[in-house]
Amino acid sequence: MNAILHAQQLTKHYPGSIALDHVDFTANAGESIAIIGPSGSGKTTLLHCLAGILRPDAGSITLNTPSAPLRLDTLADAALSRLRREEFGFVFQQGMLLPELTAVENVALALMLNGTDRATSESRAAEWLAALGLAGMEQRRLGELSGGQVQRVAIARAQVTGARVVFADEPTGALDSATSTEVLDVLLHSVAANGRTLLVVTHDPQVAARCQRVVELRDGRIVADSAGGVHVPAAPPAQTAAPIHNAADNAAAGNNFKGAFNV
Amino acid sequence: MSSLTMALRLTPYLARSSGSSLRETGLRDAGLPILAFGTVTALLLTVAGGSQVFWSWTDDIAGTYQALAVVAMVLLIIPLLTLGASAARLAARRRDDRLASLRLLGANSATVVWMTVIESTVLAAVGAVAGAGLYACTAPFLGLIQFRGQSIGSHAWLSVPSIAGCILAVCVLAAASAALGLRKVVVTPLGVRTRQTADGAHWVRGLIAAVVVAIGVVAMGMLSSFGAFIVIIAVMGGCFGLALLALNLMGPWILRLRASSQLKRAKGPEQLLAARTVLESPKESWRQVGGVAMTSFVGVFVGVGMAVADTMGTAGDTEATLLVRDINTGVMITLLGSFLMVACSAGVNQAAAVLDRASTLVALDRVGMPRKLMVAARVKAVMSPLFLVAGISAAAAAVLVLPLTGAVLLTRPVVFLTIGGVFAAGFLLVRLAVAAGTAQIGQVLARPERYASVDS
Repeated sequence: MNAILHAQQLTKHYPGSIALDHVDFTANAGESIAIIGPSGSGKTTLLHCLAGILRPDAGSITLNTPSAPLRLDTLADAALSRLRREEFGFVFQQGMLLPELTAVENVALALMLNGTDRATSESRAAEWLAALGLAGMEQRRLGELSGGQVQRVAIARAQVTGARVVFADEPTGALDSATSTEVLDVLLHSVAANGRTLLVVTHDPQVAARCQRVVELRDGRIVADSAGGVHVPAAPPAQTAAPIHNAADNAAAGNNFKGAFNV
Repeated sequence: MSSLTMALRLTPYLARSSGSSLRETGLRDAGLPILAFGTVTALLLTVAGGSQVFWSWTDDIAGTYQALAVVAMVLLIIPLLTLGASAARLAARRRDDRLASLRLLGANSATVVWMTVIESTVLAAVGAVAGAGLYACTAPFLGLIQFRGQSIGSHAWLSVPSIAGCILAVCVLAAASAALGLRKVVVTPLGVRTRQTADGAHWVRGLIAAVVVAIGVVAMGMLSSFGAFIVIIAVMGGCFGLALLALNLMGPWILRLRASSQLKRAKGPEQLLAARTVLESPKESWRQVGGVAMTSFVGVFVGVGMAVADTMGTAGDTEATLLVRDINTGVMITLLGSFLMVACSAGVNQAAAVLDRASTLVALDRVGMPRKLMVAARVKAVMSPLFLVAGISAAAAAVLVLPLTGAVLLTRPVVFLTIGGVFAAGFLLVRLAVAAGTAQIGQVLARPERYASVDS
């Protein structure tokens, strides 16, 4: 597989604690990877370092772009900012969308920041919202949408620009189990259908079980990686609220998105 | 257990939980409202103290001074009261989330109202006492100001009961504003958490304001027919005061109209964000620029005062010369007080606006919005309506004062020069406050973990 994001000896300290301790990590193009671990294990810090939100204290992060490899740890703030809006997409637990904007404006904003004109941006944003089951809700403010619908808006925003890597931090953490399954379906299908790489930080074993690869962190170190044949915790059957699809199911279901969003 | 007893027990817990991170959130939770209440109290006491000398005179010309004093006091006190109400809302808004959480946990409406009122009143009391201290420091200097060739002297000092009354009034204002400002939390705690609807700013506001100004114009035209001098002063002061309140009422509606039009025409992200920021809460946006509207209103009176002084300057007799000098002194004091109010209002509201939007700013930064675009959206949201609100305020003041002065006096160059200078100074103060807010954006983004949860 082609490595798209590669981190070497990543180290990050917080006052009084070490969040990442010489972590080596590679994400391949098209993979869906769950990063799991207990609270304080460093998983969100790893995600933020890989996404260029946080700077590591030591180590390197390389993003392989079609033109040339980019070293994220050496880029200036402005260049990192540009990278985040052009190459990456984000889905956070609380959506981190703008409450004053409508659903379509929230999605379109990502395109407008990249210089696309407003009419084109809103048109493409509306297509994404429709494909994610939000047709007719484009002009609603976020407060008028349910938690699951808000996360769909965030998923649309994360991908409307054609981001090659989507970072999700507890994307279903604030949702009930049925809505959580729906949102995860939408996220996995849409990402897989467009050949994007997905990195999900999660506490939820059910979310992890539906990703192609699971990486476990503890005390700032990777202690398990399913890509290396290490043990991966499975979802407890008793907590299963809806049928859990495997990666093949995801890819098949994702075909629905391929035609609509060949970005 | 009564709601008040429950509120008295819970309020210290809320205060304690914020105390653990006081250094980080102190400014946000308590500092800004205390600063605003302190400034309001100090200025109110200074205005009251400085003007009481006029009421000690009983000779023929005393009436002229008293009329001018009433105009100056109304022009300063109404904006100060609105700033006080704004500070109270600020104090209450700091607690929106926690109070909404308490509602979700089952605390009843009355408990939440009492807690809000108690917290805001305590902050107001602290600020008001500090303001009184500031007044005590400035009163000796205030006593050096001369009217009718003599220093105000001990007249600058208010009696202790008057000072206590002023502190009490500020506390009552804070309590009432806090209770009114949190109606949404009480009624729909979930609505506040998710901000389901944007603040409304109905067209009826514009209609009421227009009617008030029209009545004011008619009343000013009939001023001489009111007979008794005290009635004339009361009507004049009432007209100016009501017009200022009407402007405050109409302002958010004007801003909403303008932002709606800008939203339709918005092409870039900063224009979209600026328009949506105003539409999200026209009332909050008005608080950012309302100070300049008030100062512009005052600016017309200042300009007229300068024109009157300019005209009388050639009269020659001693009494007239003193009156000219005193009008100039009064005009400068009114203007200084007005600008102090604008500076305080702009500074407090800008700081509050950036802190309120901190989590949004962090979100925008994470998705890659350049900082200069965030700054551009913020500057545009505040500065672009300034010309409009300043113009409307000045026009309203000119219409009101026209029956008194006549067109000849109102169109003298000194009036236009003064109004232009007041506009420019007001804009500069707001721009400086926006620049300070912009620097705050940098501080927010430098420590995003304060405003967005980061699980290491």
